[in-house]
Amino acid sequence: MDDLLADTPPDTPDTPDTQDLFLFLASTAHDMKNSLSVLSGTLERLLVTQSALPAPKRESAYPEMAHMLYQTKRLNDNLMQLLALYKQVGQPDYPFDLQPVELGQLVEQVVSIGRVLLQSRGIRLELDVDPGLIWHLDEDLVVGVLSHAINNAIHYTCDTVRLAIRETEGWLELRVEDNGPGYPPSLLKAGAIATREAASGVNFLTNSAGLGLYFSSKVAKMHQHRGRTGTLRLENGGAYGGGCFILRLP
Amino acid sequence: MSAAEEIDWAAKNYLVVDDFVGIRQLLRESLRSLGARNIDQASSGGEAMGLLSRVRYDVVLCDYNLGDGKNGQQVLEEARVRNLVNPSTVWLMVSAEKSVESVMGAAEHQPDAYLIKPITEGVLLTRLNRVWHKKQVFRMIDQAYAEKDYLRAARLCDARIGSDKLHELDLLRMKARLMEKSGQPARAREVYEQVLEQREYQWARAGLAKIRMANGEFEQARQMFQSVIAENKYYIDAYDQLAAAYQNMGKMEEAGAILERAAKLSPNSVPRQRNLGNIALRLGNVQMAEKAFRKCIAIGEYSIMKTPDAYLGLARVCGQKNDPKEALQLLLVAQREFAHEHPDIPLRAKITEGLVYHESGDYRRARKAGDELEEMLKATAERPDTATCLELATLLFAVGVKDAPVELLCYVIRNNHDNPLLLDEVQQIFEKARMGEEGMAYIRSSKKEASDLMNQGVLLWKTGKLAEAVEWMRNARKAVPNNQRILFNAAQIMVSHMQQHGHDAVLWAEACDVLHHVDRLLPGQQRFAQLMEQLAALQPEAA
Repeated sequence: MDDLLADTPPDTPDTPDTQDLFLFLASTAHDMKNSLSVLSGTLERLLVTQSALPAPKRESAYPEMAHMLYQTKRLNDNLMQLLALYKQVGQPDYPFDLQPVELGQLVEQVVSIGRVLLQSRGIRLELDVDPGLIWHLDEDLVVGVLSHAINNAIHYTCDTVRLAIRETEGWLELRVEDNGPGYPPSLLKAGAIATREAASGVNFLTNSAGLGLYFSSKVAKMHQHRGRTGTLRLENGGAYGGGCFILRLP
Repeated sequence: MSAAEEIDWAAKNYLVVDDFVGIRQLLRESLRSLGARNIDQASSGGEAMGLLSRVRYDVVLCDYNLGDGKNGQQVLEEARVRNLVNPSTVWLMVSAEKSVESVMGAAEHQPDAYLIKPITEGVLLTRLNRVWHKKQVFRMIDQAYAEKDYLRAARLCDARIGSDKLHELDLLRMKARLMEKSGQPARAREVYEQVLEQREYQWARAGLAKIRMANGEFEQARQMFQSVIAENKYYIDAYDQLAAAYQNMGKMEEAGAILERAAKLSPNSVPRQRNLGNIALRLGNVQMAEKAFRKCIAIGEYSIMKTPDAYLGLARVCGQKNDPKEALQLLLVAQREFAHEHPDIPLRAKITEGLVYHESGDYRRARKAGDELEEMLKATAERPDTATCLELATLLFAVGVKDAPVELLCYVIRNNHDNPLLLDEVQQIFEKARMGEEGMAYIRSSKKEASDLMNQGVLLWKTGKLAEAVEWMRNARKAVPNNQRILFNAAQIMVSHMQQHGHDAVLWAEACDVLHHVDRLLPGQQRFAQLMEQLAALQPEAA
């Protein structure tokens, strides 16, 4: 019998041990997701209640709670990215799901995910999007990448984050910019490494930003159209001269 | 929501299904902040089914993973099959990670959307609004589809395709499906090509491949399905189709290998495990067949999709492993579990019993089963479907029964008198029973019997004797209940009758029954779609 699917990557070895491990990981991840959902949901609710009060009446722990939410979101992002990658790091091995999506709806979701955190940190989110524009993309992945980028920008910005999406020369360019001092050289370097074609040099253990960037560049690369492949770039500059996270999809 | 009217989410009825109490509370809080007041909760699939059978919900938020018992997909399937949800009900499936099932695209019962945890209020609201608007766009189309008036549904799609950019792709996909259902593959192909000019969508590529396959171009279809899988190895539907292409080319080994891979990626499909078991059985791969049938029974335990085929197949496996005792046990279970929805199960179980004895070399008991089958056939005029008839005739010849299998095969020919492939298969069964010459004579006379019946009715119709033609075809259908040409002509004559003499509620219902019957026997016929459209136009309110 000839090789039936010579073009596809080989399956992971299917011994009983790896099957068991897979099931164990999947059910553990499922559990952790539930706990994190409850944790971040509860925190958001507490923050919303608090922010409705005038400043003097708020709990003194308000800023700490905001920080807890930030960390919870980071944990959740990392877990989501690991779940999408752990099966076979290095292969685009994910049930990729292309759909036509109205950008207004895409942004609506990104905004709602970041709203409480942005508010509690006193950061303004500026939008520059044509809401009626329709693009073909994997919505869950792109919403995940943009939310992650905004969480990062919250860490680096002074008081404003800008999400700008436009169509340019047949590409969709999604930019997350901030008005902080810009990304430090180490992060720009990590970005360059993570997005490079052969990403074997990424060291997740020593570089905390590596996983998110690596995941984002994987997402970019999964989007392909007529021989063109999505890209990810980090730079300093943009509308406010701060850090820019730039995802381009064909 | 851009330029769309606001939806009143507060007044709707909600059901939240999750085995984790924290998540149920979280979702309930999220729904409450949308204003929702009526929120029911279930912590298991069984509890959800209980609520669904008592209350009509507008929105169901259901976790895929519900611990022991039914999973979310099985709850959805059962709710849809038992009509416990309205067409307008929004069903959102929730899971911890992106599931393979969410991109399959072709599964029969899909939720309206998949949500990945954690679910935030904004994402929930966006997706709810989106599904709601899509349902509005598709309301009339879905209704025409449910009434099987595929051509009306296609016209409704056409009317919207140019003006609704957001739903254009969904409308095109629906239209292609309607063209397939109404026997117009060339027009379905045009639609798929139109989609592919925009983007490389795997469902459109797979659609083109399916048309190639229906056209008998199996090798081209095989290549196209393989390239779909190479692009997205999680597009499970392409595996099932690729296996079918191999089967059509007679390459059973390859078909089995592909289904085995698909079953690894997405193991919880009853039909896939059943197909895998059946192919493995044909290949003589007893181990693979046993694994597939056992898995099929296990996932079927909580599923409305469960099938007696798995029990019958596993019984054959037991026979081949020289364990007729377990085989008989399985046949008893099959008869007990499926007697209700499958009236032919006693007959099929008895056939399997005969095969089990025959294959394990117990010719005396095999013959006894054959005699019992002959008695069962004598007791009723009803006959099982074609595949079962052929299997039964083969078995009866093998155990030495003569008259009953000849009668069965003549019945098959009368009901399929213009299907040359099937007639060849029947001839081969005769030849295997060393009755080649007699068989040819039987085939000739049975074919003539059917075509005489049909021609006489058509002659009455063409000479304007409509009432007599209707009556003639009614009797012809009694004698030959499953002959698609007789059935189509019978419906055609009834439609003509009503076109000339006006609408008649009884005749209209009869024509409708006949058409639905023929569509079950052989779906996707152009003549079916045309007659359904003519029939719909005859309804008084449509005039």
